[in-house]
Amino acid sequence: MARKSWHLNRRTFLMGTGGVSLALPWMECMADAAPATASATDSPRRLCAMYWGFGIGLPKEDSEHANWRWFPKGEGRDFEFTDSLRPLECFRDDLTVLGGLSHPNGRKMGGHDTGDTFLTGAFLNNQYLENTISVDQVAAASVSDQTRFSSLVLSTDGGVGEPTRSSTLSYNDKGRPMPAMHQPQQIFDRFFGAGDADSIAQRRRLKSASKMLDRVLEDSRSLNRRLGKQDQEKFAEYLASVRQIEQRVERSQRWLEIPRPELRDEERDMLSLESDDKAPRLFMRTMYDLMYLAFRTDSTRVATYQITNMADASSNAGKFPQLEGFKSNLHGLAHGWNKPEGAVKLGQWDQFMAEQFSYFLRRLASAQEGNGSVLDHSLILYGSSNSTTHHNHNYPLILAGGSNLGLQHGRYLKLGSDVPMANLFVTLLNCFGKETEAFADSTGELSELTHA
Amino acid sequence: MNYRILHLLFLLHAVIPASAALADSDSAVFKKDILPILQAKCVQCHGSENQESMVRLDTLSTDLMKNRAAAETWHEVLNALDSAEMPPEDEDQLTDEELASLTGWIRKTLDDYVKATSRRSGRVVHRRLNRVEYQNTLLDLLGLDMDYALDLPPDSPSEDGFQNNGQALQMSAFQLEYALATARRALDRVIVSGPAPQQYDHEFTESNVRNWRGNVERSNRLQRSQVFLGTMVKDYPEAGEFRIRVTFSAELRPNKGYPILELSVGYRPDTQILFRNVDSVEIKSEAQQTLEFRGRLENHPLPVRGQGKYPGLVVRVRNAYDDGSQRPKAQKGKFPDEPNLPVINIHSVQFEAPFFEQWPPQLHRQIIGAPAEQQNDETSWANKSLTQFLPRAFRRPVTEQEIKRFVDFFQTVRPEFPTVEEAMRETLAMALISPDFLYLVEPAGDEKRPVTSSELASRLSYFLWSTMPDDQLAARAADDSLLNQTVLASEVERLLADKRSQRFVDQFTRQWLNLDVVDRVAISKSYYPKFPEGLKQDMIGETQQFFAFLLQENDSALKLLQSDFTMMNEPLAKHYGYPDVWGRDFRPVKLNRDDHRGGLLGHASVLLSNSTGADSHAVRRAVWIRDRLLDDPPAPPPPDAPTLDEADPEFLTLSIREQLEVHRERAACASCHKDIDPWGIALENFDAVGLWRDEVRRQKGKRFDKLPVNAVDTLPDGQELNGVDGLRRYLLNNRKQQFARALVTRLLTYALGRKLELTDESAIDDLTNKFVKNDYRLGDLVTQIVTSESFQTK
Repeated sequence: MARKSWHLNRRTFLMGTGGVSLALPWMECMADAAPATASATDSPRRLCAMYWGFGIGLPKEDSEHANWRWFPKGEGRDFEFTDSLRPLECFRDDLTVLGGLSHPNGRKMGGHDTGDTFLTGAFLNNQYLENTISVDQVAAASVSDQTRFSSLVLSTDGGVGEPTRSSTLSYNDKGRPMPAMHQPQQIFDRFFGAGDADSIAQRRRLKSASKMLDRVLEDSRSLNRRLGKQDQEKFAEYLASVRQIEQRVERSQRWLEIPRPELRDEERDMLSLESDDKAPRLFMRTMYDLMYLAFRTDSTRVATYQITNMADASSNAGKFPQLEGFKSNLHGLAHGWNKPEGAVKLGQWDQFMAEQFSYFLRRLASAQEGNGSVLDHSLILYGSSNSTTHHNHNYPLILAGGSNLGLQHGRYLKLGSDVPMANLFVTLLNCFGKETEAFADSTGELSELTHA
Repeated sequence: MNYRILHLLFLLHAVIPASAALADSDSAVFKKDILPILQAKCVQCHGSENQESMVRLDTLSTDLMKNRAAAETWHEVLNALDSAEMPPEDEDQLTDEELASLTGWIRKTLDDYVKATSRRSGRVVHRRLNRVEYQNTLLDLLGLDMDYALDLPPDSPSEDGFQNNGQALQMSAFQLEYALATARRALDRVIVSGPAPQQYDHEFTESNVRNWRGNVERSNRLQRSQVFLGTMVKDYPEAGEFRIRVTFSAELRPNKGYPILELSVGYRPDTQILFRNVDSVEIKSEAQQTLEFRGRLENHPLPVRGQGKYPGLVVRVRNAYDDGSQRPKAQKGKFPDEPNLPVINIHSVQFEAPFFEQWPPQLHRQIIGAPAEQQNDETSWANKSLTQFLPRAFRRPVTEQEIKRFVDFFQTVRPEFPTVEEAMRETLAMALISPDFLYLVEPAGDEKRPVTSSELASRLSYFLWSTMPDDQLAARAADDSLLNQTVLASEVERLLADKRSQRFVDQFTRQWLNLDVVDRVAISKSYYPKFPEGLKQDMIGETQQFFAFLLQENDSALKLLQSDFTMMNEPLAKHYGYPDVWGRDFRPVKLNRDDHRGGLLGHASVLLSNSTGADSHAVRRAVWIRDRLLDDPPAPPPPDAPTLDEADPEFLTLSIREQLEVHRERAACASCHKDIDPWGIALENFDAVGLWRDEVRRQKGKRFDKLPVNAVDTLPDGQELNGVDGLRRYLLNNRKQQFARALVTRLLTYALGRKLELTDESAIDDLTNKFVKNDYRLGDLVTQIVTSESFQTK
């Protein structure tokens, strides 16, 4: 397959776009060509969040199996990883372990109901299921004109799932769940595929789509007037969707001039796009690879990835542990945390998860940009909304990367339950470059993160 | 009932003025008479301090008109009081007077609410086609074989597990964007332009591949270790329909299954997915015959020309029959003959592609006619094509003005495109992303109304076929004859008799009984080292075919609880230990007298899906019975539900029943679990994969400890449940009515594509009574639902 090189310099690049002023995506190969303009502030700032369901192993500190307690020993700079997080040892100075945080609203909710609100902080119960915008989408909205895609939303199960058992972490400004992608090939095609080989044909279709959507919207509005009230409420989703794709089409037209990012041979070779949820390790790594590539090529600056969830038997992620040789499914494993053997098994699973996360950090750290690595310019949250299963407090959380964005690392911070987790989000948004005073039920910033 | 009479009744109903919401005086009654009782007897567990089962009563709204959720909760409260479930037996009880005034007040309040809202609530919500319906509809509309739903996100199930619930099915920009991409991709294939492409025709009489991967032998004589491969290195097309004709004879073997001819096209050596099957067919005759297969090349993994391991396009034929015995070793690349296994002898394989009888192909002509028609006047040609296409796509009559809108769009984009076909593809794509295609559109005001004939046709077709109405049903709708209840009933009969009704069986049983979970339970390799993964599909098959059999025979639904037969095919019969069942087709097999299997509770699908993959899961099985069979799901576990202190190694030596008894010593657990556990304990004689056992195996290191099965427990009302037979007897003697009502509820939920509400209670009662009086006949229940007011009202 012939691969065109596109090591253009900025000047020819701008001329090629026919004088249209475009917000330029930040591209590493250009930084090479024009080092004079590359400074720390040129590097894009990214935010991503990973989540798993049902919490972690948490045997007592004085128990026989304390080495499988997820949270480290000690505190502050003076901490020591247990076996559960051992794979992260090499990133000790690039991360902070956070203890004690949770969403106050989550503490009032069902033990398995808090996955939906991990990034939103909202309150849900069986009579009230309206969520609110998630922190990643606040960040995405603030930079959405900078990249080809405003965010990358991933999960193992894909789609949105059902309320309180969602299969996505991201919620839009109306609090509606955003469908997650779960098929590596589809994600790859969308982000890095050649698109329509014939760009004239592609342009024609974009133009036609824009006219088509105008009409569809117009006709749908007149249909909407003939619908009953309840139907109108439901139909609002469709109308909003048409408007959003109109924006997408418009955006695609702008981005049509800019070639799709070129991937390096070794990046292509390592991808296992046919992997699926039958082989969890490969699948997780592929998802991490795709997020890494999306960041490295500045195709987007915001990503979420729900690795597993709390839908138990109705989730494909539920049997991940068994597929990796454990005896129970995810829920069963999590419930074993206070059985003699259970704590060890769950700890081993936590370690497995940490290994894959460590792989992601390694990829991000290996890509240089500006005066650091992609990792140094990425704010990465990794956590769950249960400590042990059913318990909605003391979320296990790791904040990694972002050293060039103001985060101070190398610590295990124990915070009190009086600190809402939303304070963390306020700080993350400010580091991301989106000036923020409050998010959900925040009471301020989590200034410990940015102060040594 | 004649439809016009029904309509009249509606009008009468409509003129009765809606009673207002709770008047002030009612609110005063609540404060004076009801609230004190709640505060004295209920609020300790359902108040500001605790909200057991997430119910708080002292602040629960009494203004039901404004708070529909509160109405549902009050209804739950009433049920809990009526069934003496609440207050719990170890708590302070209500006096008779208190109980009477409390239930009296709730009943009256709910009645008022139902009266005031029945003309408005309990309505089908504007719902979009789900993935299955979308796939089937496009397949029928365009006639093109394609995976239309491939790129769409998975659909969200509703709370009660249904995947056709309008409220739960979301629309998002992502969804719509891929709907457009899918429409364009399909139309690119259906509507062709330019001259006819070159056609290729190859005939293979023996394999023409020398080296091949895997431990198999190339041969014309196929048992499980041989393949037949036809390769085309250069002269084949990349896209279009293909036709493959396989000429062969077979050798059958006594007391074995039939050979299975499996045809695949591929292959893509650089990925994990090498081939995709075109079809596989059981061969039941030894005589020479020719089978014809059709498919589309672009649906298969194709080689990339010029890649290193380029082998060309490969057509593969295998004999997929495997009796599970040890496979013999190859000697010098040859596998010894296995005299006990059936054989397929390949005589020839003919491959033709792109296959078409005329150009443009039939699918193209069906939608936009022959090319000659478009040359003179493009606009009138577009008009003619759209006049045919839009009513089918929208499943209703379309006005001239609507057609004009599309013709107008065609004219607008026409100058942008070099060919008329491209402009037409865009115009048709617009129809396929419009709400009239993607949704079951039923415009209506705030008051209920009878559905129109085309709406009725769609409801019926999506209910029983998961797709758009066919020509006959559409014709019955077009002339309004479908509104005649006799015609309607005969259409129901026709749809049920058609093989497409298998889609209803498939979808409904999957969602009602939660059968998809079977695929998600990982079978423990240490407990079941020889479990064949493919058996899971046969387990699902048993349950679906059993339901289909009762439906087709219009037999009693009580057989779902107990029956003296079940549906088996060869692999499942082997699993259950029944000899002499050969082949993949399911058939009714009479059960041995001492077998405990008849009815859903003995189906491996149900038992496996509610297990851990290593052992039974009594709680999960119990919840399944109460939810799926009795429509009475227990409340979900509360926040911070305590777990057992299982650090005690003694605990692990206890049987499941004893463990659960320890669990119930805690008051917090007991209040719910005493009415959960016994239901699952009764099934303890069935292991994880649904086989009968007298001992429970529990792994300890490399050995297995054996514990006796204890399958006897007692329900809170003192009823003892003794094993699966006792449970069945109890269900049939004491819970028959409840099961009937549950089945009616779930079937009606699926038929309407919405959650049922308080206002549906009387319709459910009515249908249930008819169902019970009619000996629980399943087929008739479907007809009764279709002819019910709920089904015919928007």
